[in-house]
Amino acid sequence: MAGIYIYSDNNEIAAEIIGFAKRVGKEAVLLAFDEKTAEVMGNSGADKIYLLNGESELVESYAKAVAELLQKEEAELFAVGSTARGRELAARAAGYLDCALVSDVSALSYADGWFLAERMMYGGLVQQRESLDGLGVVTVPGGKFDPVTGNAEVISMAVQADRRVSLVETAPIVRQGADLSQADKVVCVGMGLDKEEDLETARALAEAIGAEIACTRGIAEERHWLPAELYIGISGAVIKPKLYVSLGVSGQIQHIFGIRDSQLIVGIDTNERAPIFKAADYGIVGDLYEIVPLLTDALKKQTIDRPE
Amino acid sequence: MSKVVACYKWVADEADLRIDADLSVDFSRVKGKISDYDKNAIAEAVNIATAWGEKAVGLTFGTAKAKQSVKDALSRGLEEGYWINADEAADADGAAVAKALAAVIQRIDDVGLVVCAEGASDTFARQVPSRIGAVLDWPVVTSVMKIEIAGNGLMTVRRLDDCMQTVKVQLPAVIAVLPEINTPPIPGLKAVMAAAKKPVHEFKGGDLGINFTPKTKAVEFKGYVMARKNVIFKEGEAADKVRELAAALRKEGVL
Ligand SMILES: Cc1cc2nc3c(=O)[nH]c(=O)nc-3n(C[C@H](O)[C@H](O)[C@H](O)COP(=O)(O)OP(=O)(O)OC[C@H]3O[C@@H](n4cnc5c(N)ncnc54)[C@H](O)[C@@H]3O)c2cc1C
Repeated sequence: MAGIYIYSDNNEIAAEIIGFAKRVGKEAVLLAFDEKTAEVMGNSGADKIYLLNGESELVESYAKAVAELLQKEEAELFAVGSTARGRELAARAAGYLDCALVSDVSALSYADGWFLAERMMYGGLVQQRESLDGLGVVTVPGGKFDPVTGNAEVISMAVQADRRVSLVETAPIVRQGADLSQADKVVCVGMGLDKEEDLETARALAEAIGAEIACTRGIAEERHWLPAELYIGISGAVIKPKLYVSLGVSGQIQHIFGIRDSQLIVGIDTNERAPIFKAADYGIVGDLYEIVPLLTDALKKQTIDRPE
Repeated sequence: MSKVVACYKWVADEADLRIDADLSVDFSRVKGKISDYDKNAIAEAVNIATAWGEKAVGLTFGTAKAKQSVKDALSRGLEEGYWINADEAADADGAAVAKALAAVIQRIDDVGLVVCAEGASDTFARQVPSRIGAVLDWPVVTSVMKIEIAGNGLMTVRRLDDCMQTVKVQLPAVIAVLPEINTPPIPGLKAVMAAAKKPVHEFKGGDLGINFTPKTKAVEFKGYVMARKNVIFKEGEAADKVRELAAALRKEGVL
């Protein structure tokens, strides 16, 4: 069956992509690899759910089988949620199909028989729009479309897995930090912070204004001072708070990508030429160790003084 | 065991890009660099090859400008450099890049493993390693933050959005590593000198029998600018700057 074929290991994103397919008037076919997903997604508005049964627990290892299915069904688009699993499955399927793949689209539309996809390049500095002709693949981050409802017909089929990769062990990642995508205010620390204990300085400010703590990639991935889900940027969280305050963050483009929808951006950095000041509404050039305690004090008072 | 190929890309340094008033992108002052995370891929390829007692070699696909990358790559512990010289590389998409790289991987004798980074700093499309695997019909493991040798295969630890996975893979295979997998050493003077003497093999894009036409049509390419107030307090006492900022935040109503 022609139409848009959809996969995501994140059910919310899958439901959003189904919403897109239905809104542009296409058949929506969801690929599920386990019965539970097929059941949970039963009323998400897909026309059909193909429940693909095979011997591997790794969804990615069905890439070749998925490519063959898409070809046989004359799919018009394979739209996959932009998660680690999804990206691999999408790119391997695109490789087997030798077709286009537009990754992490910031926008996707359909008009006059063409899909039009938009994506960021150079860490977010450049925006490119591309049109897809014939079967192509896109990966789609969460939050782009609204879901719909409606019952799907579930069709089971057997598929072959690539058995050269096998799963030995899975350990869930326990989320430790707040859900930054919902945060109203965020205080973000960067590599300008000298010692792990100094996180307390940032926490005091965050507490004074009721903000969540976040960081740049290096703080999470190199220094391991904060959990990985708390780093912001093109490869991390994308946030849209009312207020974002950075402390010792240079403001490289890959980080800025994650904060560009913030209502107000404030940067504090010793280096007057740090790119954060070009991205900021307000900034202080100064030593965070001097500025932050003063600012905490000033804002604490303001919050208290402010009439309710 | 067999050779390890590290794939890397010579990219425009995004820090040198300028966005003009009409949102066109000015590349005139741009310098090139080996894409940041590819240095981790090179270091990991060298580590595995060393453990196997085998050779790690570098492979890149680029325009004539990419030639200058080869010496830099070789100074990072790779023994030989392979580079594909193609004008088409300037607008090649993931499909073309993967096919070009795969074509040369097939021409290198006895390759057991291809190591790539998760994505290049210019496109960050994160698709080439998986596509190379598909073109070669080899198994692929992405998002890898640890690799251990396990008999004839490799044991890898992957970081996914919701879990950590330990995955075993048979060789030959393609692996995409996360930058957290290692800290690439900065090449010393001796390594830089030695790089000049290492063998370099050049391939011409036209000889690989690949159609380089991109699969999508780019209809727009423009700079992104954020309109921000850029009110920066830089002169005077810390206390004054803080007072001014606090007043501004109160006025903005974001507290
Ligand atoms: C493909 C790719 C993807 C990436 N994805 C991400 C991503 O998702 N998220 C991300 O964050 N990064 C990402 N990066 C890395 C990014 O390019 C930057 O390297 C990183 O954001 C820098 O982090 P930072 O600002 O904390 O550190 P630095 O750049 O080291 O900045 C530290 C800042 O602290 C200032 N400073 C030092 N001491 C003080 C003091 N006492 N008081 C005040 N200021 C001080 C310095 O002046 C400097 O400006 C990515 C890179 C690549 C290539």
